[in-house]
Amino acid sequence: MRERLKSSQWAGLGLIGGLVIFPFVIALLTGQPVDAGVPKFWQGMLIQVFILAVFAMSYDILMGYTGILSFGHALFFGTGAYTVGILLKHAGWDLGAALLAVIVIALVQSLIIGLLSLRVSGVYFAMVTLAFAQMAFLLAEATDFRQWTGAEDGLQSIPVPAWISPTNERLRFYYVTLGFTIVMYLLARQVVNSPTGKVMMAIRDNETRAKVLGYHALTFKLIAITVSGIMAALAGAFNALWNLNANPAVLGVGTTINALLMTIIGGVGSLIGPMLGAGVIQLLGYWLNVFFGPSWPLLFGIIYILIVLFLPYGIIGTWRLRGASWMALWRKRLQELRARL
Amino acid sequence: MIELIQRRRGLIAGIIAIILFGMWASTQYEPRVLASILLSGLTLGALYFLVTSGLSLIFGLMDVLNFAHGTLFMIGAYIGFTLYANPRLLLNTLPFGLALVAGWILARWLPANSLPSGHRRPLWVAAVLVGLFAIWNFELAPLATTALSSGGRVPTEQAQAPTPIFIARALGLAVAGVIAGAAFLAGREHTRRPERRDLIVPIILLALALLIAPLRLTLEEWLLSLDSNTRFLLALLIGAGGGAALGGLMEWSLIRPLYSRPIYQVLVTLGLVFVGTELVKGVWGPGGYFMELPAWFSQRGPNCPSPNLIAWLQDNCASIDVLGRPFPSYRIFIIALGILMFVGIAVLLRYTRLGMIIRAGVQDGEMVQALGINVRRVFTLVFALGAGLAALGGVAAAPFLGISPGLGQEFQLQAFIAVVIGGMGSFTGAAIGSLLVGLARAFGDQIVLTGIQLPWMSEAMTFSPSIARASTVLIMALVLLLRPAGLFGKKE
Repeated sequence: MRERLKSSQWAGLGLIGGLVIFPFVIALLTGQPVDAGVPKFWQGMLIQVFILAVFAMSYDILMGYTGILSFGHALFFGTGAYTVGILLKHAGWDLGAALLAVIVIALVQSLIIGLLSLRVSGVYFAMVTLAFAQMAFLLAEATDFRQWTGAEDGLQSIPVPAWISPTNERLRFYYVTLGFTIVMYLLARQVVNSPTGKVMMAIRDNETRAKVLGYHALTFKLIAITVSGIMAALAGAFNALWNLNANPAVLGVGTTINALLMTIIGGVGSLIGPMLGAGVIQLLGYWLNVFFGPSWPLLFGIIYILIVLFLPYGIIGTWRLRGASWMALWRKRLQELRARL
Repeated sequence: MIELIQRRRGLIAGIIAIILFGMWASTQYEPRVLASILLSGLTLGALYFLVTSGLSLIFGLMDVLNFAHGTLFMIGAYIGFTLYANPRLLLNTLPFGLALVAGWILARWLPANSLPSGHRRPLWVAAVLVGLFAIWNFELAPLATTALSSGGRVPTEQAQAPTPIFIARALGLAVAGVIAGAAFLAGREHTRRPERRDLIVPIILLALALLIAPLRLTLEEWLLSLDSNTRFLLALLIGAGGGAALGGLMEWSLIRPLYSRPIYQVLVTLGLVFVGTELVKGVWGPGGYFMELPAWFSQRGPNCPSPNLIAWLQDNCASIDVLGRPFPSYRIFIIALGILMFVGIAVLLRYTRLGMIIRAGVQDGEMVQALGINVRRVFTLVFALGAGLAALGGVAAAPFLGISPGLGQEFQLQAFIAVVIGGMGSFTGAAIGSLLVGLARAFGDQIVLTGIQLPWMSEAMTFSPSIARASTVLIMALVLLLRPAGLFGKKE
């Protein structure tokens, strides 16, 4: 099958290629070995971007594609992190089995939360999911389960298999997370472009009409929550592997706000947008932290509010709205320049 | 009769559940233990009610779910506590606020209507720059933390700064206010021409700012020399007032531009949770504080605990005897405050013009607007009212629960659960939901103390307070399963 690739697909392939050779490029530029110093640091930076990108994308499947506003997404992320941590540390499972268990647990959990919370809609849903996530946060902090969860301190030093250890085998971890992100993106795109995805979007645009056309809205919303929950849980599991720990903060409101922020900055209702948002947030957070020290979360919150007020469609959305006219403007200017020369 | 039962089935189901639970509880605990659990539950319920009533009113009227309500509660607690323990921070920032607002109002006298709207953005930038320049290097954190930790004995640099510098800063902010006001008015038509009597308010504000500036230290000493009861009442008033002002400002500046995009309103309020918490951490420090009880609720002596409420009026004991067990008198005060506010709001809703507009607005906001009532102004008022109630709750909770930046989130969670149980937008529902959650928490805390022993267990099972706190979510899940709209909510 010799189909010509569209320009956006070329861009995607180029981006992946760029990310694959990125560690070596940095190593060349800095003259340091690829598994130490600056290149290692930037690999770590991008690993976090990849993990957050999957998390943000999973959030956008709910918010951008199905029109469900959840404030409890940290629940899935945190459960993934804790599940993999507990299974590796206390149950001594191997990594593959633990990740499989994460998927199964996330499936069951998102079905239960979905069935309970979807009895209400709109902001009620946001409120109810926030309550469930806060419950999980409180349980993670509870001293009763200290021998498993480590209470306030969280799970420390999760024994990650040596071949993928984020400290010693950073480069390998980098490629594994990159592969994970690409697979998740392709899966998410498959879901979103499938007939099921179309029904989700129909529900987002007009739920009554979708119902009248004969679609069982609850089923499709449940599918969206399940897909989104599993993706978020896997992202959380990778987060635990990367940090070698899981603390109650991954279940806190901050985690949900982070997902929201990345989704909104990147652009609601596209898969690339949230991933881009994850990159922006991670790098912005890093620079703000360097320049402003401990007061950066405050600046972060203010930036978030300004973006919600003034840039509601995010980077991708604004580009889609204005991109064509900007491009036309630039082309005109270029022509003028050429004519003058 | 049957119709009545059908209409009131939420209430009836609630009452039956309470009776059943009461029967179980009375077999489990002896009466005096039960009495103090009930009173603790009422205390918590009263505090939750102060949060949920505002939340519910705001949601009912303008369909905005304010996720920052718990944050307002926490900020109210901090403001009240600061006034009570050491008002240095408030006295040193108040003139700035007053000057800014005065400048903003004074901008109406500029020929701003002739400014084209294109000048708006540069003017905003100029206002922000001037404002930042005016408060450059004026740090709030030392004003709050050193003053509070030393009881005001240690002077702070900012408070000791010479008056001319302080006044120059205030005037700079007034100028920033004028520029911001001009930016706000630029290109705007249909503004009412100001009259001479409109000058009174900004002049008074500016005069107050200039008057407080040289008297900051004297005022601080005077406030600290007042007896603790007066300071406590002042703290309640100023805390609630500050919270109301913040709420009004929030509605006007952040919520109002977004009425056409409801989801984004919620997103903004969630962002405010983050900003508010970080701001409080930055100013007052990440640690917690403990607020001392005023003299009314803290006397100890041979007569204590007071045998009854009337005896307490004379001896002001820290606790009151309830069926042979001492119960803190301050918690009785919180219960009274809750009941007072419940009655007050009920009267406001039922017998005043504003209440009539609010009730009508809950039913059909567009119709109220069509009848020529300025709904936007009522929105701001109700938002301020709700925020003020939450902040009042925060001040009242401060001596009882302590103050920390995490206080808001905990209350937010329980308030949300109460609202889901009671039904959104229903005032009675908010009250009953708060009461139920409060009682559930009190019983949970008791079970934490004693453990739970079911017939087949050899020894009692114990668990930590976190689980008791988390367990109220289960009640919410139950209500959602049985009656998604809540006990008093309307069906969607």
